[in-house]
Amino acid sequence: MHHQSNTATLSNSNSFSWRNPNRFVLCGVSAVVLIIAPHIMPSSYWLRIYTMTGLWVMLALGLNVVAGFAGLLDLAYVAFFGIGGYAFALLSSSQLDIHLPFILVLPIAAFFTMIIGIALGSTSIRLKGDYLAIVTLAFAQIFKLLLLNLDTPINITGGVNGIFGFDAINLFGFRMMSPLAYAYLVWFFAMAATIGSFRIKRSRFGRGWEAIREDELAAEAIGVNTTWMKLMAFAGGAFIAGAAGALFASFQDSVFPNNFDFPQLVIVYCMVILGGLGNITGVILGAVLLSILPEFLREYGAYRMMSYGLILIVLMALRPQGIMGEVGFLLKKKIRPDKDQTDRLKASTELYYDENAKPLEITESKPQYIKSSRAILELKHVTMDFGGIKAVDDLSLVLHEREILSIIGPNGAGKTTLFNLISGIYPPSIGSIYFEGRGITGLKPHQIVKAGISRTFQNLRLFNKMSVLDNAKVGQFCRTSAGPLSILFHLPLHKKEEKETDQKAKEVLGLFGARLTGYRFDQQAMFLSYANRRRMEIARALSTDAKILLLDEPSAGMNPQETIEITEFIKTLRDVFGYTILLIEHKLNVVRTISDRVIALDYGIKIAEGSYEDVAKSEQVIEAYLGRKRP
Amino acid sequence: MEIYLQQLPQQLINGLTLGGVYALIAIGYSMVYGILGMLNFAHGEVYMIGGFAGWWVLHLLTRNNEVLISAALVISLMIIIAMAISALTGLMAERFAYRPLRNAPRINLLLSALGVSIFLQNIVLTYQGAKVRFFHISALIPESLRIIHIGPIVFSFMRALVIGITFLLMGLLTIMIKRTKIGKAMRATAQDLEAASFMGIDVNRIIVLVFLIGSALGGAAGTLVGLLFTQVDYYVGFQAGLKGFTAAVLGGIGNIYGAMLGGILLGLSEAIAVTFLPSAYKDVVAFVILITVLIVRPWGLVGEKMPEKV
Repeated sequence: MHHQSNTATLSNSNSFSWRNPNRFVLCGVSAVVLIIAPHIMPSSYWLRIYTMTGLWVMLALGLNVVAGFAGLLDLAYVAFFGIGGYAFALLSSSQLDIHLPFILVLPIAAFFTMIIGIALGSTSIRLKGDYLAIVTLAFAQIFKLLLLNLDTPINITGGVNGIFGFDAINLFGFRMMSPLAYAYLVWFFAMAATIGSFRIKRSRFGRGWEAIREDELAAEAIGVNTTWMKLMAFAGGAFIAGAAGALFASFQDSVFPNNFDFPQLVIVYCMVILGGLGNITGVILGAVLLSILPEFLREYGAYRMMSYGLILIVLMALRPQGIMGEVGFLLKKKIRPDKDQTDRLKASTELYYDENAKPLEITESKPQYIKSSRAILELKHVTMDFGGIKAVDDLSLVLHEREILSIIGPNGAGKTTLFNLISGIYPPSIGSIYFEGRGITGLKPHQIVKAGISRTFQNLRLFNKMSVLDNAKVGQFCRTSAGPLSILFHLPLHKKEEKETDQKAKEVLGLFGARLTGYRFDQQAMFLSYANRRRMEIARALSTDAKILLLDEPSAGMNPQETIEITEFIKTLRDVFGYTILLIEHKLNVVRTISDRVIALDYGIKIAEGSYEDVAKSEQVIEAYLGRKRP
Repeated sequence: MEIYLQQLPQQLINGLTLGGVYALIAIGYSMVYGILGMLNFAHGEVYMIGGFAGWWVLHLLTRNNEVLISAALVISLMIIIAMAISALTGLMAERFAYRPLRNAPRINLLLSALGVSIFLQNIVLTYQGAKVRFFHISALIPESLRIIHIGPIVFSFMRALVIGITFLLMGLLTIMIKRTKIGKAMRATAQDLEAASFMGIDVNRIIVLVFLIGSALGGAAGTLVGLLFTQVDYYVGFQAGLKGFTAAVLGGIGNIYGAMLGGILLGLSEAIAVTFLPSAYKDVVAFVILITVLIVRPWGLVGEKMPEKV
């Protein structure tokens, strides 16, 4: 009595919804708190602290985008804060005698900072983490040097004395001068930054960034334009920092070079790391904590910076994920597998049959695709030379539409290198590759995915900390185009694409039956069983809407029963769904069952090509696998 | 132009001197990067602590501008004790901040190193104050040897001494790496940590040794700069660290000879730049070199391009 599980189509994941009562209450409460708070501050000193905390929250949220979401150690962040501040100072004071209204200055400062952020990012984005950190640090130093020295011959930055005496903010006729007004203004933007952070985290941007953080190569290979996304993170962080800088300048009514120096950088980093990199609530908590705590520990002020250093050391050694890191996942409402929708406890036999529910039944009326004679992928004299070792040597092959072509060969024959070449991970030393007549040699992996070729990895490169559903959704990144504006303002394009992505991901996961659906949607990929992880890898490749699938040993490590199942599934992919499949396999019975054609490689050279029977009988192939008979 | 060219030989000597110092700092970075693959942010602070240690030794051995023991002995003690204290600092950082993170993602190590750097900088600031410390070296050099003329170049005794000591230390290190068994063990560990441990090398001890040597050299550099420019303060580590890192990257990070080459080249470039540009922008030279190298040839002059195995 096993029934087709319908949980694949029901919305089970905890998506953010205004109609969700808990979220609404939370928003209401925080709104009330923010309205009342400035009035209940015991003194004007504490009102100042309150406002500064708001600025720190904004800064921390901005850093969270660069360092938390995208995982980039940007040590120039404080310079962006400074650029925003000085931009405001120069556009709203008598320094250069420019007096623009605040409503213009704030966006100008933010956008200008963002542009500088993009410029800096584009020079260093290709660098590995450590180098990026140093280069950004150097940039921050240059910025400070400029601030200090650009007061002669023309006084632009005021040198060590800074700039002070700005125009008052004039918003819609109201002159904002009181500390109370500033408190509201600053926290308004802090809240905007918070909401923006949540929205962007739950969008294709957030998923793309998380994928990059988990495994940058896999993200690139599944269609995420990693370079551009990292640049976007830089831009986003710089934008928020710039806005915060402008607000800070107005609030302090002055800017000095040492407002935007190393100590401030350290403080923001401590806030973000203490709260938990990438965790929005955590970061806000960290900012509030580290902004208020020093006030209570005034007498130990001399030890303040030392403590920040110590905090970083201890956190990294003992709890690198910060206070709130990974708590988010634990707090999410878990759907228990032993209770169904109506909360009725299920018998264990029901569970067993559910687990092994057959994937979508293939009926006779579904279209049956067969191999055509049209060439869809061509490799011409492709050679990959790794400084002397030719992993692939003068290889030419043709892949036909809807064909299942298997690549076999001993370990080290160059099979995975072949996949790496086709998927664009590195360009061939010699030779060219054509997809549907179009040259794709030298294209970056994400462009090749977008063109229609996706792959799986031999050693599984899942996004382990992301949920099963999110892993599948990342595949749709290259098929969607909602930009930051669309996401931040929940424009129709974003909503439509989110819905479609959700649907498509669930559809793809549903092909594997109950194994990757239902309560598994929200399960982190690292908790899946080995066979399910292999299935997930394939599902992720499927979700990119590809035409050609490169499957690298999809059945490795599976037992005979699972192997038969996955083999049938791969055949179905071609027969029913019309995929073209390039398959690397070691299990020759699998190869025999489903291949239209087989190519054998050894030491990077093609040693046999043809039907399975032809290749299996070839002397060279036998020698490669088994060695030569003793004479 | 005439004036500039006249100054050039002098500036080149200056550049060589400073270059030797940069080389010593850069070696520390390269050694640690070669073995652990991490950038030891805190290395600059180790240099600074070396400078302070040297100052203290000089301070304790000087009364009324007269040294209590022979000048040569004082200088030797300064350098040796500075090396010892810096080595100790480096060892503690390795033991408490970096060792727990041996298998952690890179970003964690970087952040921890940042933390160590801030901690060291501020502990010196708190307990030693922000005032600049002056090295009263007049007692150390006999009158007759203060200034030496070789052709158009004016040598100060201190400068000659610094050049001599830096090249001596680099020479000793090279001999150790090339000729001794432990040097071989270090090279092996830098190539492949796991494989080295399989060969019976106590990898932990090698790592400790690397930190010890690298930090000691950094500390020596700190004292030598103190002797040369007669000043040290809590902030010098930051700048020196950045310059040392630039030198290491220029030469090829992970490569000790690269570090030496990079240091000297950086020193010479700065000297040449200072001849033709206002001196305030001296530091910009280092940053420009850094960014250029990282964009154009990230594996440095001597390093090898390593393809990533997927």
